[in-house]
Amino acid sequence: MDAPPLSGASAFASGLAVSARNLTFGYAGSLPVLRDVTFTAPQGGITMVLGASGSGKTTLLKLIKGLLHLTNGEMTVLGQTFRAGDRRGLTPDIAYVPQGLGLVRNLTVLENALIGSLSRLPLHNRLLGGFPPALVAEATERLTRVGLGHKLHDKAYNLSGGERQRVAIIRNRMQNPKLILADEFVSQLDPITQTQIMTVVRDRTRSDGVTYIQTTHELDLVPRFADCVWVIRGGVKVLDAPVAKTSVDELERALRGS
Amino acid sequence: MLVTRARFYLLLLLIATMYSAAGIGLLDLTRITKGLGNIGIFVADMFPPDPAALPQVSIAMIETIQIALVGTVIGTVLALPLALLAMPALTTHGVAPVLRFVLAFIRTVPALLWGVLFVVAFGLGPTAGAVAIGLYSAGYLGKLFYELLEGVDPEVVEAVRSVGCSRLQLARYALIPEAANGLLAQLLFMFEYNVRSSSIMGFVGAGGIGYYMLGYIQLLRYDALFTALLVTLAVVLVLDVISNRVRAAFSLRSPASS
Repeated sequence: MDAPPLSGASAFASGLAVSARNLTFGYAGSLPVLRDVTFTAPQGGITMVLGASGSGKTTLLKLIKGLLHLTNGEMTVLGQTFRAGDRRGLTPDIAYVPQGLGLVRNLTVLENALIGSLSRLPLHNRLLGGFPPALVAEATERLTRVGLGHKLHDKAYNLSGGERQRVAIIRNRMQNPKLILADEFVSQLDPITQTQIMTVVRDRTRSDGVTYIQTTHELDLVPRFADCVWVIRGGVKVLDAPVAKTSVDELERALRGS
Repeated sequence: MLVTRARFYLLLLLIATMYSAAGIGLLDLTRITKGLGNIGIFVADMFPPDPAALPQVSIAMIETIQIALVGTVIGTVLALPLALLAMPALTTHGVAPVLRFVLAFIRTVPALLWGVLFVVAFGLGPTAGAVAIGLYSAGYLGKLFYELLEGVDPEVVEAVRSVGCSRLQLARYALIPEAANGLLAQLLFMFEYNVRSSSIMGFVGAGGIGYYMLGYIQLLRYDALFTALLVTLAVVLVLDVISNRVRAAFSLRSPASS
């Protein structure tokens, strides 16, 4: 394909999982939530989106996932380019984990994990329900490995915060995505559990080459785990840099705008 | 200013009420006094309830419960798919409003009138009653169900949609389980309601205890009528206790209390 640089399949081939140019999003009749945001996320790394509440972080993730549609601009995600007005389907190769994790409270741990595999079920399971034994075995094995083997048949509403987080991770694994978008993924956890979970995430991006984009309002997570960082303030991107080339001071200034 | 305006509306309401009351005949004092006297005689005639009516009334009560049970099941089986199709998020553009209109129309016709129509179709007896209750319940539950399904936590819906599942899978693995407790509570409420409504189906010849109630009124056997009313009351109270127990057993424990 003779596409221009940084768009279409060439951007994917050049090692970018996501690249966006002049991204704008707003609801009709009100000020845009995001204005003219341009950024890139390298393939197979952890990118953190740093910003205060209401800065437009969640909106940005939903735009990348396709849960919201661009008002203006252009975005290439995993080699596919989208412009304003394009309709996109929700594909399993991009995983989205909302801030509250979105576990189905009335389903069991095992069922919640298997939800990740819904798109790759055979036709009779799609129509009549149930899961093939191979997938059930895979989910059971993965859940057991993260210490949830004894809670497979517990309802999700009975779990602790850390347990719910692990179920969300396994649901994610069952989905087999190339790109993971996680909204404030570890923000509600204590520092020890945060470190444990972020270590799991980092190991996974290193071993599987999965790209991971996470929003956060906690500055100290960035130097410890991220490869790249974007800072958003009031719907505008104020900083976009590899973590190695920035400092905590610089991030703090960008975040506060002073 | 505010007080005088409130007084003005209050005065307006008073005038409208007096005018309507006069039209209805409630200001005709001789008529009211006579009526109150009749109620006294009527109530005196009800005591003591006639135990001789008990066998007949009990058998009719069982038929009433059967009508309510079958009607509620028919209603639920129809209401759930109709409610799902009445959700704009799950159906093709334009289908949902049509279904909502159909459900509203079914509810507009009182259950007793559906009873009259089905007596014409199926002949006298409980068959007509059960079908009438079933249809009315479908309209009523259909609305309650789609409202509950629409109230499902949007984060859960986004998380499950994001895995790239079908609409049917979204309904089965996210909407229905998340709304399950509410659906069950409405279902039990509908059953109680239907026991009351099928106890007057007999007024129009559609089966159940109402047939005897009407007969006792026409034969001035107010003591037997009282027996029928007491049996109905007892059944409704027992159902109330049972449904409260079932609801408590299935209710979600909130994260705060666990």
